Amino acid sequence: MIEILFFLIAPFVGGLIYGLERVVRARMQRRIGPPILQPFYDMFKLIQKEPFIVNQYHIIFGIFHFITLWIVVGMLIFGGNLLYVVFIHLFSTIFIILAGYSTKSIYSHIGSNRELLSILAYEPILILIASGFYLINGSFEISAIRESSHYLQTMPLLFLAMLLIVPIKLKKSPFDATEAHQEIVGGVEVEYSGVFFEFLYMAKWIEYIFIYMLVFLFAGDNIILGIVLCLIVFILVNLVDNATARVKINHLVKIALIIGLVLSVLNIFGIVYV
Amino acid sequence: MTNVLFLILIPLIFAFISLLINQKLQKYFVIFGVLLVVLASIDIYYHQLLFSFVFNEYIHSIIKILDVILLFFFLYRGFIEKNKLVSIFASIQIVIFSIILLLPTTNNSYDLIIDNIAMTMFLVINIVGGIIIIYSLEYIKTENFSNFKKNSFISLLFLFLGVMNLLVSANSLEIFFFCFELTTLFSYLLIRYRLDNTAKENALRALWMNQIGGVAILVSLLMAILLYDTIFIDKILNIGDDLFLLIVALLALAAFVKGASNPFQSWLLGAMVAPTPVSAILHSATMVKIAPYLILKIAPAFSPFLSLSITLFGAFVFMVASLMALNKDFFKEILGLSTIALLGLMISVAAIQSHKAVEVCLMLIVFHAISKALLFMQAGILEKQFHLKNLSDINHLISHSKLLVFFILVGFASLTLPPFGAFFGKFFSIELFISLINENVLYIFPLVCILFGTVFLTILYFKVATKLLTKLNDTYETTKILPLYKYTSFALVFLLICGLILNFDFESLGIFEVSLPIALILFFGLFWYFSRFIKANIIKEYNCGEKDEFENSAFYIELKPIILDAIKYISIGLLVIMIVGSMI
Repeated sequence: MIEILFFLIAPFVGGLIYGLERVVRARMQRRIGPPILQPFYDMFKLIQKEPFIVNQYHIIFGIFHFITLWIVVGMLIFGGNLLYVVFIHLFSTIFIILAGYSTKSIYSHIGSNRELLSILAYEPILILIASGFYLINGSFEISAIRESSHYLQTMPLLFLAMLLIVPIKLKKSPFDATEAHQEIVGGVEVEYSGVFFEFLYMAKWIEYIFIYMLVFLFAGDNIILGIVLCLIVFILVNLVDNATARVKINHLVKIALIIGLVLSVLNIFGIVYV
Repeated sequence: MTNVLFLILIPLIFAFISLLINQKLQKYFVIFGVLLVVLASIDIYYHQLLFSFVFNEYIHSIIKILDVILLFFFLYRGFIEKNKLVSIFASIQIVIFSIILLLPTTNNSYDLIIDNIAMTMFLVINIVGGIIIIYSLEYIKTENFSNFKKNSFISLLFLFLGVMNLLVSANSLEIFFFCFELTTLFSYLLIRYRLDNTAKENALRALWMNQIGGVAILVSLLMAILLYDTIFIDKILNIGDDLFLLIVALLALAAFVKGASNPFQSWLLGAMVAPTPVSAILHSATMVKIAPYLILKIAPAFSPFLSLSITLFGAFVFMVASLMALNKDFFKEILGLSTIALLGLMISVAAIQSHKAVEVCLMLIVFHAISKALLFMQAGILEKQFHLKNLSDINHLISHSKLLVFFILVGFASLTLPPFGAFFGKFFSIELFISLINENVLYIFPLVCILFGTVFLTILYFKVATKLLTKLNDTYETTKILPLYKYTSFALVFLLICGLILNFDFESLGIFEVSLPIALILFFGLFWYFSRFIKANIIKEYNCGEKDEFENSAFYIELKPIILDAIKYISIGLLVIMIVGSMI
């Protein structure tokens, strides 16, 4: 019951996290920042706007992206096959890439291209993390993963690798080249407006839930540890976001991939031998 | 019993008929012939008739004589075209083969054995291959050749089907070698079909490279006769622990050559100069599928070392071939490299000797064949009807033909995304490798290679797909796809949809998880079809007010020559390790 409820309100929880994040970031810069509910005020305003579209496919792909992402989070909540979840997540990312390319806009295309390249950076690591869970549990089932704990002791390096890909998915500096507002004006988002942009905006909130639920998995059955982990990751990501500058997309791929890969392979060797 | 002979003979008969008959009647005859073989293969699969068969002495002698003629023909071609490599390999084969002819052999097993693997291969060869033959009727019509030459094209394709049917049922290495060489011959003839300089050159390259495989088979045949006095694959597999592994390793080498795995990949890429149906039939249903098939067949004899090294080799090929494809611009070349990559995956899965591995590998073979045939057929349509060959020229195709974009997208999606079979093949193979890590931690290397290959292929396919989608808001003219092209493509899409049912057989995923993407795709399809944004105003792109004139921008990952060299040497090194290791 509580799972269904959480599934239904997932985008809004994500919105709250997003609002909170803006406040935290503002405080780090000694600003007051917007109210926590600011994302929702934005949402109401966006809905009231007059709808403009560039073409139909662009909008349809955007909506598909949102729906599949929500389903991915649903599978994480209800407990499915973790490896499968990673692939369905890829499915949803493909939609946003196709959306970016369906208009004749240079910023949108560059954004899509970078999104495509960033898949290269995080997808292998996500699968290796899933395989780490498999090696410990003997199963990809999320419900089975949630039943035992001590993942942090057995896969610390994989957790570090996870930390590397959190900023890529959440589009946080130094790994925010896919969005890069100052440079390519939001990439894929640039051609959306009004209520249709709202879908992309909410998809972003759901991405927050997806990432933090993955972090939560590392805590296993220990809910308090999970909350603490999420909080630490949350603050760390925002701290790094404030303190670092953006890296180029090819550096992003190289850094995330090489470090992440070495960490995860070492960790898997460790799991098998220790 | 009769069914299998039917499968082998019917294509030969129809090859003969289509050579002589006039163009108008030919169409109906070809479709009739294809229907016959398709029905026969379905019948065999449906009844699951496992059986074996012995040819009588006359047929054995005929096959031996044909073999000799074939080898001398290769030597002759090498002489005429002044290609040393072709002549050298042909002479080596003639020498070894004459030694084999002198040796006495005992017939203690069956010449043909039809098992489950062979039956699945029949389905792939005849259904997908048959559809490609029907497609090529339309394709070859517009070529600028004499009628006889056009007819001979169709009959060559039919012969290919017949020989492949014989090859997958062969248990005797002699017959296997005969078919192996015949496919080499047919591919040689088909590649040089256009008879210009590049075509001849590439055909010769295909010839000498494939002959390496022939040499490997002959050497292992010779050793099998000398050491164990047998020419039958099932006997070799049953020898057990004291089997001299070099025999199997050399057969595996022959498989890599046919599968165009990394050091040998240039013959398959050279095959692009032939008419597109040739690529379609080589890449999907026939020729290259010998590689995973042969590995599947001999896998029970592998030692753990051999199994691991072949797995690693296949996974490595999967990774590098898909990486190389990221730099290519020629549409058919991209498809070709991705075929090589996926064959690497199939080889690496096939080398694991478990029941599930066989199942996963067969799944990959079947669905890869369907998707690749579909994609190559679309490449042909692009070439013929839109005059497009390069990726950089394909822009806003969706404004010109929605159907073509639909087919290409289905082709790509069926190779990468759920709920299609090829995706589940990849998914289960990743799962398989992860579960193997617990037994032997070295399996992490093939796993990492496969992860990278998967991601490279995904970004490759969707890089290509994105080129098609950019929609223009201005007026434009649409092009209708010719009916024969359209129906054959729809037939393949239909096969893909039929294949969805197969996914439910696997235990590790629940019904919910398998049916979810199907439901999603259905929902998205309906949404796509019925959604109209009437209230929304259509505007020009905002584009930050800039008015840059640009065509679609895709990225290319260029590999330095030193990296390409390194890839070549590593794959040769892996092969050497495999062969040397199997001798110890």
